[in-house]
Amino acid sequence: MDQGEADGWQRLAPLSLIFVIFGGVQKFVRENIYLFVGAGAGVAFTEWLGPRELLLGVTGVLLAIVIGAVIYHRRFRFKLEEDAIRVRRGLFERKELRIRFARVQNIQLGEPFYFRPFGLVRFSLETPGAAQKEVELPGISRELAESMRDRIAGSQGEAPFQSDVEAGGHVPVSAASEELFAASTGRLFIHGMGSNQVWLIFSALAWLFGVVVQRFGERLEQTDGFIWLSEQFAIGWLLIGLMIPLLFAFLVMVSGLLSVIRFHDFRLIERGDRLVGVGGLLDKREQTIRRKKITGLTLRQTGLGRPLGSWYLLVRQAKSSDAEDAGTRTGFQVPGLKRCDHGLVDRIVHGWQTPEAFSPINRRFRLFFWLRWLVLLALGLGVLTSNFGFDPVAASVLAVLYVVVFFCIHLRWRHWGWHVDGDQIWIRRGLVGQTLDAFDLNLVQQARINQSPYQRRHQLATLQLVLPQGAVTVPFLPFDTAAELANRALLAAETAMVHRV
Amino acid sequence: MTSETDAFHNLQVEADSLPDYRHVELNPVARSFLPYSLITTAGFWLFLALVLLAVQWVPYVNIGMGLWPPAAVLLATVWFCLITWLGVRRRAWALREHDLIYQSGVIWRKTVIVPFVRIQHVESSSGPLERLFGLMRVKCFTAGGMMADLTVEGLDTDAANRVRQYLLEQIRDDRVADGESGSGSASESGNESAGELGSRAEADEVDRGPG
Repeated sequence: MDQGEADGWQRLAPLSLIFVIFGGVQKFVRENIYLFVGAGAGVAFTEWLGPRELLLGVTGVLLAIVIGAVIYHRRFRFKLEEDAIRVRRGLFERKELRIRFARVQNIQLGEPFYFRPFGLVRFSLETPGAAQKEVELPGISRELAESMRDRIAGSQGEAPFQSDVEAGGHVPVSAASEELFAASTGRLFIHGMGSNQVWLIFSALAWLFGVVVQRFGERLEQTDGFIWLSEQFAIGWLLIGLMIPLLFAFLVMVSGLLSVIRFHDFRLIERGDRLVGVGGLLDKREQTIRRKKITGLTLRQTGLGRPLGSWYLLVRQAKSSDAEDAGTRTGFQVPGLKRCDHGLVDRIVHGWQTPEAFSPINRRFRLFFWLRWLVLLALGLGVLTSNFGFDPVAASVLAVLYVVVFFCIHLRWRHWGWHVDGDQIWIRRGLVGQTLDAFDLNLVQQARINQSPYQRRHQLATLQLVLPQGAVTVPFLPFDTAAELANRALLAAETAMVHRV
Repeated sequence: MTSETDAFHNLQVEADSLPDYRHVELNPVARSFLPYSLITTAGFWLFLALVLLAVQWVPYVNIGMGLWPPAAVLLATVWFCLITWLGVRRRAWALREHDLIYQSGVIWRKTVIVPFVRIQHVESSSGPLERLFGLMRVKCFTAGGMMADLTVEGLDTDAANRVRQYLLEQIRDDRVADGESGSGSASESGNESAGELGSRAEADEVDRGPG
């Protein structure tokens, strides 16, 4: 790396070009996948093109990405100042960013496997207002990254600390730091099994399967294979019936494995005012956040995670978007928790305890949605009957659907609750799984009280508290309770001595 | 989470003694907001009705919708004008010592309260038609993202300027009371922060143009 240029501006390491190209391809796929998959437009497009044209197109796109990445890499410059970092970047238009260290809420050091032999890391910074990483230096030496991390810590009034990830990947726990939590491989595997990414993989595969079947079917129609397949139809259904649960079980296993790769050897370490999360097999990541910059905690259990008893914790920070949810890599996530690990909340934010019981929302929530769905399905049945005559099969399907909806509404009502503990509030919600949001009332940016005509008739209201990390909602509260909670939140916000956000 | 706020964490405040936003007498919006709202609402729906009516006479294309769609849209115009009329009567706002209250909605009623300490900057704007009616909007930006921004509509120009000025003074006062713990100052048009931690644009971004 060309360090110490005359004007202090530094360049990225030549090898980091690989990462920039990878990043470019990833970004292109991510931004266009929905366009491709959506409404079958991509399928129609690929069918319209021949294989050679398709290959030519893909090669052209890849070439454009590589050329773009080379220019971006060549133009990228960064500079360290006393209290800030400056970055110059851009492909078509050049932008210059200056981030003061005091504003940084999250520092990430990533070490992809292909960077390891060269001692390079990916260094990124997040600030409260940005929807995504504000600064990403994709390929600088580990020493420089660590010195920058320490410098940022120093500028925030703290003593610099030793690296959490040494060259060998071992995490030393010195006297100054304390390990709060370590997730075993088994726990991480269970976390992955319960993760919502199972559904993502499932839907992607279902789409792929649909395309293959369509193509395969066209081929069969042109040959005698179609007649042969028709004869095997009865066996085919049986096979499909067996295949789906097997495929699902396979996907759950794959998801578990992906989680182990993503979080391998995960540890949560407390180091003074900071929390450090370290883990990952192919891309070892060290994430550092300041306690002062925490705006809330979210404990979450997915529907699949519930039978497995698996939870995870999200450390919330100010964001313009809610992008740190499960599945994205930008948030600070502590995976592989069990119910007995809920005490970790108190160790992350001192004094916070997971409540034993929550105050429920009003029962009319159930009644309202039960009636609404009943009317909706009755209308649907009415329309069907008036057009096609009464069909007992359709009526039975709608009746079964209503029973399912009935229980879903009940579960939703049962999970929704709130609990005020001093100046903290806990809000629980969920259907099969559940999410527990905890935050200080003094962080409320805005309080909203909404009332539908039905709610007005029954003296109810929906309370929405807008926070730096997004909004939380408690529906169907008694109007007085909603107003009291809003008043309490406003008082807390208006009398807070330090305005953290 | 911070030692500075610990002093507040154990304060017990009885529900009865909490300042209640419901006890505030709200100010109605400007009188000229009613004709403005009616014109914009009716204008939108009537334009749609005209388009649907004009479609009937497009040459060489037989759409065959009849006069029902424009009639339905005309009915919708009457309905939405009625809702607008009721909505304007219900729309109201108030400033308290420490927050701004804004109430709107006819069928779904909404009350929004934004503490001054959470406002990062204030923006006032008005379109040509609003200017014709002497109206102005005041938009308050907070750190909670787009959904946390509050736009107060229906203020006359004088009231909007006074509200904006008042908000800016309150934000400055809060900052002085906090000992200037944050960086930057509350601003009308900039992206600077009123608090220690957050502003939407954390970085000073300089667009250096092409090249």
